[in-house]
Amino acid sequence: MAAKIDVELRNIKKVFQNNVVVQNFNLQVEQGEFISFLGPSGCGKTTTLNMIAGFLEPDEGDLFIKGQRMNGVPPHKRELGMVFQTYSLFPHMTVAENVAYGLKLRKVSKTEMQERSKRVLELVKLPHVADRYPKQLSGGQRQRIAIARALVIEPSLLLLDEPLSNLDAKLREELRDELKRLHQEIGVTTIFVTHDQEEALSLSDRIVVLNHGHVEQIGTPADIYHRPASEFVHTFIGKTNKLEGRVVARQDRLLTVETQSGLRLKAVHPERAVAEGDAVTVFIRPEKIRLTAADAPADANRAKGKVELTSFLGAFTECDVRIGTEVLSVKVQMLDPGLSLSIGSDICCQWSPEDVLIMPGERG
Amino acid sequence: MGRRLAVPLLLAPSLIILLGVFLLPMLLMLVLSLQNDQQQFSFENYLLFIQDPFYTGILWRTIRVSLWTVLFSLLLGFPVAIYMANASGKVRGIVTMLILAPHLISVVIRNFGWVVVLGEKGWINELLLSIGFIHEPLRLLYNELGVVIGLTDSFIAYMVLAIATSLYSVDQSLSKAAAILGASRIRSFFDVTLPLSLPGIYAGVTLVFSLSMSAFVTPSLMGGTSVKVLPVIAYEQVMSTLNWPLGAALSFLLLGSTILLVALFTRLAETKRYKEVFAS
Amino acid sequence: MKKPSLAGIITVIVLLLVNLPILVIIPSSFTAAGYLSFPPEGFSFRWYAKIFERPEFIDSFWVSLQLAVITAVLAALIGTLAAFALAKYKFRGSQVINSLLLSPLTVPSLIIGIAALLFFTRIGLAGTFAGLLLAHVLISVPYVVRLVLTGLSSFDFTLEKAGYMLGASPARVFWDITLPLLRPAIVSGMIFSFLTSFDNVTVSLFLVAPDTTTLPLAIFSYMQETLDPLVASISSVVILLSLVFIVILEKVYGLDRLFGLQSQSH
Repeated sequence: MAAKIDVELRNIKKVFQNNVVVQNFNLQVEQGEFISFLGPSGCGKTTTLNMIAGFLEPDEGDLFIKGQRMNGVPPHKRELGMVFQTYSLFPHMTVAENVAYGLKLRKVSKTEMQERSKRVLELVKLPHVADRYPKQLSGGQRQRIAIARALVIEPSLLLLDEPLSNLDAKLREELRDELKRLHQEIGVTTIFVTHDQEEALSLSDRIVVLNHGHVEQIGTPADIYHRPASEFVHTFIGKTNKLEGRVVARQDRLLTVETQSGLRLKAVHPERAVAEGDAVTVFIRPEKIRLTAADAPADANRAKGKVELTSFLGAFTECDVRIGTEVLSVKVQMLDPGLSLSIGSDICCQWSPEDVLIMPGERG
Repeated sequence: MGRRLAVPLLLAPSLIILLGVFLLPMLLMLVLSLQNDQQQFSFENYLLFIQDPFYTGILWRTIRVSLWTVLFSLLLGFPVAIYMANASGKVRGIVTMLILAPHLISVVIRNFGWVVVLGEKGWINELLLSIGFIHEPLRLLYNELGVVIGLTDSFIAYMVLAIATSLYSVDQSLSKAAAILGASRIRSFFDVTLPLSLPGIYAGVTLVFSLSMSAFVTPSLMGGTSVKVLPVIAYEQVMSTLNWPLGAALSFLLLGSTILLVALFTRLAETKRYKEVFAS
Repeated sequence: MKKPSLAGIITVIVLLLVNLPILVIIPSSFTAAGYLSFPPEGFSFRWYAKIFERPEFIDSFWVSLQLAVITAVLAALIGTLAAFALAKYKFRGSQVINSLLLSPLTVPSLIIGIAALLFFTRIGLAGTFAGLLLAHVLISVPYVVRLVLTGLSSFDFTLEKAGYMLGASPARVFWDITLPLLRPAIVSGMIFSFLTSFDNVTVSLFLVAPDTTTLPLAIFSYMQETLDPLVASISSVVILLSLVFIVILEKVYGLDRLFGLQSQSH
């Protein structure tokens, strides 16, 4: 049986003063799913969220929530929960009044109102701040209350507009885990807008990667990371080494590519067909490269170089290795015994063909 | 230049003027106001004011005219502030310019413009008479209504700017938050926008009230001899009757009653919740 | 486009109303009739020509102009010095001095005028140009202090240090670095002082000598006796003059900033 669809976007398009901000946006969100809209600023993620919330109207396309067409329905009639980047707690209301506001508007009885407010405050682990005003709370507490306020009305859909970006690094991580726990506990369908790939990767069931108003890819975090559909997705998420080259040989599913500097490497044939002689772009993630001794036995992908720069970053070391005219960035978690990363050392880079990503360039 | 010498030197000119043209004169005026015509210490002038219904009547009229001015400015100024807060930067700039520019033109001249508009043979009466809407000219001038119109024109800019400034600092996403929680536009206005613009409203109300209480030119030009307010009476005592002690006492009574009423209003307005929310 | 809102309609009405006096006066000044009427009858410059037949307006204009110019220069100088002392040197009691310097703003100018008259009579300054000037400077200085203090609050004093490090003398530093950066605030203070003085009635009322009245006061007195198109023509001249300064003020500093309005453009 197919899962129930909670939100559906069909061919959504939005234009601001002759600028297309969003187009061809198609998406189906399943009930209980946690979806992230990920992309750089100006990619259209917030615009799309605002269209779902009802603050903006799409110029073309249809929006369905729980099977009902929502075009033209004002935000206050959509029964959604939303958490804003700036907390947006009402400064003139106490925490309890903030949380109860949505219930008050729904004319819920006083006892039920207190009951539900209490429960939701316990859910975000802040039952003791009910009588305080927002400005008496810390940033993290404010955001938890904002989440509580959005959840108390039991919305059909929870919208999170970069809710963690105003918090400092440590709090951000804490609240990220909190969001994950809450989502597992209540299972509300959630759309999360962020420009932070780590947040998107760790929280989401699926990620929508956006760029310049286009959907670049929709997929699970693993899909997005390991099988990027475009160069943009690959370079936007995680660090990568990018080399330009040309296919010089093809053997079943194995390609041989020669880069401009003459480095030869083997790669698994990508989904899109490439022929011998095609110009391609080659990507290798820094963490997929292993450093070995310069005199280690030859492998499919293996290149000798010199250490050019090393930065110790605690959990790992980042190392730039010069191979001819190319510089490869390598993430070293564990160094083979006997190897030295001191600048100028001879070293060898190795990686397996499965970890090389090929993007076809222009034919030539 | 060492700071030991710098500070007194830099401050000297302004402090000398402050002392010689403001502080000492105010002190002298206080002493004068506490003298009877035999130049002895007495509260005669103040007691005269409190006991004479003519003067208390004048005070009450001054307060009444000021309150009407506050009400008019608030009712007309609040929507303007709301409009400015929601407008784009460009529109906001134009509105600000159009509301402030006339403010820098002499009040005498602006009052004259109103006299031309509101007078018995003024534009409004001529227009209404010519279309047969009225058969006798309306009395729009030389009564309290005329003064209130003139004062509202003079001071509405302060009300608008005070409220607009407080609305600017209200996070735009708060009304979004209210909407998504289920509040209609009107509901969100009364639950969120209005309560949060209270500091601006209070500031505007006290400012317009104080300015109206001490206005002299507009009541003289648009109220004529029939609508005498406290500042006009004080002027007459000083310049026509030459009763300087009484004129001095009237000045302090004007100042005192304004401060008292503003303090009272502030006390009423700033409830505990207000302090919790808006105190910095 | 959004449909016009109630707030928008009221805004247009209010903007029309506050500008109505100006919109009325200028056409009225060109009337050919001997009285104010609606609509103005005919078109002529006769009421402008009439100005020159009334020496009290010409004389008072010169008095007002001199007064306003000297007030502006003195107030800008005195106010800037004071603001400097307050912003640059943190000394004990600077808060008190600050509120003292701004205190004339909190007292109605009518009362300032009466108090000055009482005091000046004792020391022989009543009815003199000097007395009038001092009172105008007094009411203008607080504006300059406020404007320059605002300017200085965003002034980076390390720029002065950088100047010293490069070998400039204190006077050079002040002239080459500090002053140019504060020029908008000081110039605005000067223009605002000019307009304050040029428009003032309530202080001048008590301090002018019978034969040396100021222009707004002359119009004020004339208006209390006669209402004819002559007031309109003189007023039009003053409006034009004020508008020139308002435009300069808007260009140099911005009216919204001048009135302490935090304009957030987005």
